[in-house]
Amino acid sequence: MRLTTTVNGTEVSVEIAADARLLDVLRESLGLLGTKEGCAAGECGACTVLVDGLAVNACLVPAAQVQGRGIRTVEGLARHGAHDALQRRFVASGAIQCGFCTPGMLMSATALLERNATPTRAQIAEAIAGNLCRCTGYEAIIDAIEAVAAQPRPGHAAD
Amino acid sequence: MIRRVSGYQYVGGDHPVSDAVRKASGDLAFGSDLRLPGMVHAALLLSPYAHARVMRVDSSRARAIPGVLGIHTSAEAPTGRYCRYRILPGQAGCVDDESLFTSTVRFVGDRVAAVVATTSAIAREAVRAIEVEYAPLAPVLDADAALAPDAPSVHPGGNLLHEFEVAVGADAERGAAGERLELETTVTTQRLHHAALDPHLCFADYDSAGQLTIWSPCQSVYGARTVVADLLGLPYHRVRVIKVPMGGSFGGKQEFILEPVTAYLAMQARRPVSLILDRDECIRATTVRPTQRSRLRSVFTRDGDLRSLEIDTLLDAGAYAGSSPDYTEAMAHKLTRLYRVARYRHRGRVAYTTTPVGGGMRGWGAPDIAACAEIHLDRAARRLNLDPVELRLRNLVEPGDLDPASGRSVGDARVRECLTRGAAAFDWARRVASDPGNGRWRRAVGVACGAHKNGMLSDAFPESTTMSLKMNEDGTLDLNAALHEVGAGSAVTLKTIIAEALGVSPDRISTREADSAVSPFDFGCFGSRMTYVAGASALALATALKERLIEAAAALLGLPRERLRAIDGCVRPIDAQAPALDYGLIVQRARMRDGIELGVTQTYRGTSNPGSYSVQFAEVEVDTFTGLARVTDFLTVVDIGRAINRQMVEGQCRGAVQAGIGSALCEEVTLDDQGRPSSGGFKNYHLVNAVDMPRVEVLLVEHDGDDGPYGAKSVGEIAFVPTAAAIVNAVNRALGTDLSHLPVTPERILAALASDPRPIGVRTACV
Repeated sequence: MRLTTTVNGTEVSVEIAADARLLDVLRESLGLLGTKEGCAAGECGACTVLVDGLAVNACLVPAAQVQGRGIRTVEGLARHGAHDALQRRFVASGAIQCGFCTPGMLMSATALLERNATPTRAQIAEAIAGNLCRCTGYEAIIDAIEAVAAQPRPGHAAD
Repeated sequence: MIRRVSGYQYVGGDHPVSDAVRKASGDLAFGSDLRLPGMVHAALLLSPYAHARVMRVDSSRARAIPGVLGIHTSAEAPTGRYCRYRILPGQAGCVDDESLFTSTVRFVGDRVAAVVATTSAIAREAVRAIEVEYAPLAPVLDADAALAPDAPSVHPGGNLLHEFEVAVGADAERGAAGERLELETTVTTQRLHHAALDPHLCFADYDSAGQLTIWSPCQSVYGARTVVADLLGLPYHRVRVIKVPMGGSFGGKQEFILEPVTAYLAMQARRPVSLILDRDECIRATTVRPTQRSRLRSVFTRDGDLRSLEIDTLLDAGAYAGSSPDYTEAMAHKLTRLYRVARYRHRGRVAYTTTPVGGGMRGWGAPDIAACAEIHLDRAARRLNLDPVELRLRNLVEPGDLDPASGRSVGDARVRECLTRGAAAFDWARRVASDPGNGRWRRAVGVACGAHKNGMLSDAFPESTTMSLKMNEDGTLDLNAALHEVGAGSAVTLKTIIAEALGVSPDRISTREADSAVSPFDFGCFGSRMTYVAGASALALATALKERLIEAAAALLGLPRERLRAIDGCVRPIDAQAPALDYGLIVQRARMRDGIELGVTQTYRGTSNPGSYSVQFAEVEVDTFTGLARVTDFLTVVDIGRAINRQMVEGQCRGAVQAGIGSALCEEVTLDDQGRPSSGGFKNYHLVNAVDMPRVEVLLVEHDGDDGPYGAKSVGEIAFVPTAAAIVNAVNRALGTDLSHLPVTPERILAALASDPRPIGVRTACV
């Protein structure tokens, strides 16, 4: 079947197998390898992407479900080659160690800040509860998200 | 944002891991992101039985599936045996007992066959289509059963894989019974999954000229080379191993699990082969922290002085030896660098069973024995009516003590300071005295100490590493060392050390990951040797390069070198009469004028192995109705010597607590009565998530007292060593229980509460 969708602001149209997962389409058909596969069962969150602004595990979503929708992946965060505020803060705060969970964490954090610009630490922890990290103990990640939330932002976080 | 330590320009500051920018961009290619031209895909057929003979493999149906390129079993593959843990040929302690494919399966997950196909999905479909006839044998599911007289042998030669005793100190004066406490405790630690989010994988290619290239997220390219080349009969220079970025290891990728089979498949396919395990396979078929049981018997004076400690450890190696013999010996070399004990006896036995293969994991025996000893000490404190902090202070080592088991100094061991400063910061005295109460929720605190090491140096192993540092004509630097970044920041740590020594910003230094074709030899990234050994090597290298720069500048300026000094990226005359030469200019001119190369290659040899120490304090809240324990507050104190990269040191400490809570309360690879892991991925292997994490305070004790660079010692492993013990001690204090079987799950907590008829209030009145 043919899947037509918008990925990181660009409309794409690809031929996919009926049982393809969104993760396969992103990684194999579109070559967007930033989205990682850690468990293939929706339990680790490494493959988190945004579908119409909602954070989902791309390993669980049948690709056919995103027909006509807007997908955002880690590759879509930077603007003109420059990291967005979350990416910059993740780097500076020590929120990245092995980095395998980072793309998924960034997408969950993006979804959170788009629907709640001033989350509490507990709300941040809740928003990344489905994103496992074995390296950091989460604190530097929560610090980074909190610091970005505290910044005055020109316009919406989706900008 | 950037914190600075006075006196240092870069050391002690915050430095993101070297590849953080690319990790945040999503464009760093981890292993599973590699795409090789013409690549084909492999999948493994893993045994569903814990113990069976493979009678017949019928692959005709699988072979007929379009896209299947090859099916491999023990019928045609080399049957030579290897040790997945070996670094060097001839290395002691390595048992060659594993083969590429086995005709006798020894655990659920043992390799029976492999399929190579055009896609991963086809390879997996073909694996399912292979019909295997097994003749089941009696499984051997634990170490006790393995050592029973009539136990079936897992390997020829019996199930006792290794046995040893460490015996130091003379028999203590016994004293009258009333003047001493004799106490016995048995502690069991569980099988753990490393749970690096990046799955186990390997890529290999064998070209028409006979060159084998392996891409692996491993911890030792030279070890992978040794194992693969020896097994497949290739000369070492024909096996090139390239370390690729890894999404965490925690020791799970220390041993060479997939490299041999992937290399073999690539040699057969004559095309690049990719082998990527799924999560369930990672849990079942790679390696686990081995389960062990230790019985501790000790004699204390009534004042709490530890006079004698006897330990009997029985460790379950699983189906293949791997690192288990060395791992068990490591357990026996931790406590004598932590406590002064007049008499120490540690008997260790390692048994083969038909269970998942044990292997190295963060802390390598230290957390296992810390759990045993620290739970035991808390029981002793209760019986001696001593505060657990007081009991430990009576027995901890002092700086400069000799560790009787290794015969080496414990170095500038500041564990007592970790304990006293930590106790003050945690408000221990007040909190330990507070009553956990009689309600449904009980809250209490616990403490534990741990000791680890700094590198591999021992009577059995040397410690050295070789590195090259080259300066470019613009003053930037390239470090060529066999680095294996596991995500803990070893590359940026070395850059920071070199930057400090030369007065050059760390971002003007490049590093590369290990590649056996181009990196100088190094054993690998394990054994808490990166900062202490590799870091000291980098410092010596930078210091030598600085001398070379001064020497070259002296020649260029026509001044005696005594009148020059290197500072802030320049060589300057002391009296400032002549102009300063920046490093880049020195390199340019030295090359152009005299053909001099400003690079240094040298081998650093370690001469010490002091203790690393951590003391940790936990507060837990236990729900006595559900049995669920939750960590509500945590303090990690580490005798770090000197933090090179403060941000990453704190990150290591906090990450260790995440894993430590798991090992204390919930993580376990359990087996059913047929030896089948109950895993099914992370669904049944619960990792602590962001919501379950307490706030973790980190307190660093820094005295610059040992031989590490700027006084630094190791952190990544030691930070994990006492974590589980501190939490279990807090649970026992909250409930008045004697839980000593990790993890202390709700089921075990409820069972312990149910088995003790005393009201809670009576049981908790212990100090």
